[in-house]
Amino acid sequence: MNFKRYLILILSFFGFNHVLNSQILDNLTSSFESFGAYYIDDSKTGDFSLDNRFRSNNYLNLKSNIKNKWNFELQIESFEPEPLLNFSPNFKKTNISTFNVQYVNTNLNIQAGNFYEQFGSGMILRFWEDKNLGINNSIRGLNAKYRVNDNIFISTLFGNQKKGFKYSKGYIFGFNSELDFSKITKNNSTFLIGFSYVGRNDKKIKNDFYKGTTNLFSARLDYSSNAFYSNIEIIDKSSDPIYIFGTLSDTFIKKGSAILLNSGYFKNGLGFDFTFRRLENMTLYSERKAFGNEFNESIVNYLPALTKQHDYSLANLYVYAAQPNVSYQSNELTKVGEIGIQADLYYFIERETLLGGKYGTNISLNTSFWNNLDGDFDFKNQNYNTELLGFGKKYFSEFSLEIRKKWSPNFKNIVLFINQYYNKKFIEETFGEIKSNIIIVENTLKINDKKSVRLELQHLSTVDDTKNWSAYAFEYNLSSAFSLYFSDLYNYQNPKNDKKIHYYNLGGSYNKGLSRYTINYGRQRGGLICTGGICRYVPESSGISFTITSSLF
Amino acid sequence: MKKIVFVLFFFGNSLISQEKFPEIFLKTINGKPINSKTTYNDDGLTIYSFWATWCVPCINELDNINLEIEKWKEAKVKIVAISTDDSRTKRRIRPLINGKKWDFFDVLIDENHNLKRALNINGIPHTIVTKGRNIIYRKIGYKPGDENNLYDFVLNNSD
Repeated sequence: MNFKRYLILILSFFGFNHVLNSQILDNLTSSFESFGAYYIDDSKTGDFSLDNRFRSNNYLNLKSNIKNKWNFELQIESFEPEPLLNFSPNFKKTNISTFNVQYVNTNLNIQAGNFYEQFGSGMILRFWEDKNLGINNSIRGLNAKYRVNDNIFISTLFGNQKKGFKYSKGYIFGFNSELDFSKITKNNSTFLIGFSYVGRNDKKIKNDFYKGTTNLFSARLDYSSNAFYSNIEIIDKSSDPIYIFGTLSDTFIKKGSAILLNSGYFKNGLGFDFTFRRLENMTLYSERKAFGNEFNESIVNYLPALTKQHDYSLANLYVYAAQPNVSYQSNELTKVGEIGIQADLYYFIERETLLGGKYGTNISLNTSFWNNLDGDFDFKNQNYNTELLGFGKKYFSEFSLEIRKKWSPNFKNIVLFINQYYNKKFIEETFGEIKSNIIIVENTLKINDKKSVRLELQHLSTVDDTKNWSAYAFEYNLSSAFSLYFSDLYNYQNPKNDKKIHYYNLGGSYNKGLSRYTINYGRQRGGLICTGGICRYVPESSGISFTITSSLF
Repeated sequence: MKKIVFVLFFFGNSLISQEKFPEIFLKTINGKPINSKTTYNDDGLTIYSFWATWCVPCINELDNINLEIEKWKEAKVKIVAISTDDSRTKRRIRPLINGKKWDFFDVLIDENHNLKRALNINGIPHTIVTKGRNIIYRKIGYKPGDENNLYDFVLNNSD
């Protein structure tokens, strides 16, 4: 029954997505995405115990414009009969998710309805969408941007933030300015300055101890020349109650702050980049009671983990999530933020040299470490004082070396070595710490212009947690349209025999025009799944999943 | 449900293929705003490749084009590599393009995905070819060898 309903839905979405010929509106474009799954019982990981084995997330987006002045956007989303596992329950059935009207002329841009926006690096404000993570935190309200002249740009916004199909009770208002001072610099360098303000008013929760409105101010400097760049961003956040033992404290009320410093140099095949970041009590929710929700809902600012983003499954087993919050769990487990660095070095060894070979060789090094802030933590009286540049207990560190080399016109490989330290006790607020070494080799062989094979081999060794893992993936591209794969992830040294489970997956994809179809059968590892520095918990599951994505122009 | 089908019907009936490249503000790698309408080759072909520093197939595509960059230059095609990296990975762009010597590509940043959203791009790699402002080719994904098909397309559609 549910599946039938889904089929009708898909056919209508998909059908409309492909209907042509307009008499009413010019320039109408659309895109459609569908993610479906049928969950099955699994003798190793257990039975599927929830309602609705079949679940799907569907998105239809329509855009149009009139005379290049007026833009319209409508997005309808459908979670039938229920959303996929571990998506927010605020996504219920079918509804309009996004609707906006935008007026554009040369210097002015006004948008009413749901809109996305980012100030600076996003550390003070970012509204964005990521369907895989279940994030669509657009604001419904008004956003106006004005280009005063070539050097001055200002914008202002106001509205309520979206959570699922609902809207948060708190109001968000913001102001942003970007000033270009490049003209006063010599040669071709760029010098930019930015100021932002973000206010969050949560009238729902207000008492004599703190104000309904929390204010954030940020200042940015950005300098670039031909071979060097440097930028700094500083944020001050006004007092806000700390969420402790499941409730907002009336007495534990603290300010927040952020410092981000990034600098780099590059020349002749050599590139170097360095980042320092310090966050103290920095998360901002559009409503205070949303604190710590597992669906990443109602988050106003973007504070991703600043570590290398890996493409390989074992490198994402113990993955760091930024720790911007105050969390008092016990005398030994008190967190107030994070401080740390990340550095990257890229080097290209020239073609026709001893180490470069015929095609040259790419080498990249990355290192990062992230620690708790240092200071005096008073667990009993719920208070703290931090030091500006003090490094406290280590949360995470990583060192990686990646070599990419093309050996012949048809064969190339990537070798990646990673050394990781993961403090599970502090990051996940459980117990344990894990030191691991990971080695990954990826080989791609091109058979001809249409066919190629890719083999990925991975191993993680550790004496901690559930010990060693191995993984491999094999992909066969039959043509530029068809592709098949098989992969396995195996915790072969797990101390518990019944936990030595193969997380195997097999599937394929097919591209035709602007449509892409994928199907997968297998077992999904549970735990923290992270994309782009944002993580969410997913339960272990088995089943068939499929996706359809299609755009029409 | 019925209401929504009705709404869809209304829009569905009015669909027409859009061929114009949208006008959206992007940023240069130095952080300056730039309107996308100034990025295409007025009287020739432009390839827009949507990529990110963490996207392995995207980098493979651009690397493979770059390996034989002379023939692309001769074909008089402009190549614009649009990065969709956000603040987490954006800082890797400059060292990476320098390390890879992608000197011929115009690299621009679509940090909060305004252009990607305007073009209904669901995932990367995604490649678009325009003639002037008109979109004449789009492709999802990248597999080794696809760059040769793209090159043939460029040759066949150049004046």
